[in-house]
Amino acid sequence: MATTERPEPKAQDIGPKNPAVQIGMDVVDYLDERTGVKTGANWFMFRNIPRGTSWFQTLGFTAMVVFGLQAITGIILAMYYKPDPSIAYDSIQHITNDVTWGWLVRGMHKWGASVMIVVVFLHMGRVFIWGAYKYPRELTWVTGALLLFMTMMMGLTGYLLVWDQKAYWATVVAVNITSQAPILGPYLGEILRAGPEFGPDTLSRFYSIHMLLIPGGIATFIAIHLFLVSKLGIAEPPWSKRRLAIERAEEDARRAAVRDRVPFGRTPVPAGEPAPDPVRVEAKS
Amino acid sequence: MEHEHQNGAPAEDGEYGLYQGPRAHVPEIPADHADDPGYHTRTKFLSMVAIAMGGVMTAAILVPVIGFAVADTVKDEEWRWVDVGPYSDFKQNSTTSLRVDGPSAESDRRVFIRNRDDELVAIWNRCAHLGCPVKYSPGSDGYVCPCHGGAYDSRGKVTAGPPPRPLDRMDIKIADAAGKDVAYADAKAADRVLVGKAYSIDADEKPYKLHPPGDPVDGALSHLFPFV
Repeated sequence: MATTERPEPKAQDIGPKNPAVQIGMDVVDYLDERTGVKTGANWFMFRNIPRGTSWFQTLGFTAMVVFGLQAITGIILAMYYKPDPSIAYDSIQHITNDVTWGWLVRGMHKWGASVMIVVVFLHMGRVFIWGAYKYPRELTWVTGALLLFMTMMMGLTGYLLVWDQKAYWATVVAVNITSQAPILGPYLGEILRAGPEFGPDTLSRFYSIHMLLIPGGIATFIAIHLFLVSKLGIAEPPWSKRRLAIERAEEDARRAAVRDRVPFGRTPVPAGEPAPDPVRVEAKS
Repeated sequence: MEHEHQNGAPAEDGEYGLYQGPRAHVPEIPADHADDPGYHTRTKFLSMVAIAMGGVMTAAILVPVIGFAVADTVKDEEWRWVDVGPYSDFKQNSTTSLRVDGPSAESDRRVFIRNRDDELVAIWNRCAHLGCPVKYSPGSDGYVCPCHGGAYDSRGKVTAGPPPRPLDRMDIKIADAAGKDVAYADAKAADRVLVGKAYSIDADEKPYKLHPPGDPVDGALSHLFPFV
């Protein structure tokens, strides 16, 4: 068959490149040719965002950064912590008092836990007040609600690991609240505490849930959450004229459809496209 | 849809604009049974086999793993009689606080043994609200919980606070040196006092199966926990 001729390489910027820059670009090109990483990064990083996007929209990223902080400090803490009732408390004293910067890393993990709860709730409040959970972003909200639940489970399971009197009895109360869920609640409590009473299995079970089960779930759902955010775009603020025009047009179309007894559906209007003209509801003649 | 034309036959005037050449050869599409629900193709069969095998393999992993994680935790506790000392340790009109063994060393379980009015009563220190340890206060001859302010009278019935039922009890009996049960009236100082299985009670001290803290034993809300 016909020989395929290699296309002339595209003219790059004029003049010799800094060899370090050139090597970096070559590496990126190598990766992009094999994985399409440039396309993916462009799709994720360089999106159209609506007018009025502000610092409030950075709370979600902040929550993710705090999760990263918790993950990193948690990995280091797990190198010293021992999930056994006889030495758990002592190992934490060892981390705090003996290990270099142990007080710092443990403090970051402890305060980061509170910060994460606060930031997650602020993020949820922002989404709620902006009305950003509405069509077509309902599933983003649902995955976010699951992330909230898993964050709270992290708080519950991590609290016990300190294994002092406060941790012990606070978790006894929390697990007994769990067992008051109707029907299967008592079983749920027993599964959580690995039997009818707190014991050594409870501590290691909470440790496993805290550092393996839930972090995996959170990482998975952060990925889904981010994919949805990138796919659907950032919601416009409630005071956006474009959004109001879209909602008014949709409402008009819905009313017209109800009046004419025809089925009615909606399609999302991507960010960056102009608002549609309002549907004229013509008077019935 | 010009089905009457043969493949490769010349095109009619104007059918393809100015093009006058022969038609392209369009191969006959063989009948595809994949979309026919009445037809079992090899592809369909193998897809079903693959899905079924995947299900079997997933179950082969998940069933043992989940059973391993859950099965032992939902077993009822095995209770046995525990010797808590000679009868002379429990004087008339006294309430003794004793540590008793739970299923593990970490279950911080105590029992209050009350000897009064010709009766021995063993009251578990687990608050009926959310399981905190109650404290015996001799001044009021009652029990108070430090967590949420639950208060109980001398027989463990709720006097204030959120607990939905009285304090749980444990079976108690007196046995002689040979292990034979002894009636309260015949009990001698050297006879042993034994504490056994725990049970829940309602406000009339009617016994029920042991409930977790927070679950009412009677009334409408008790039907929320049918498997307890």
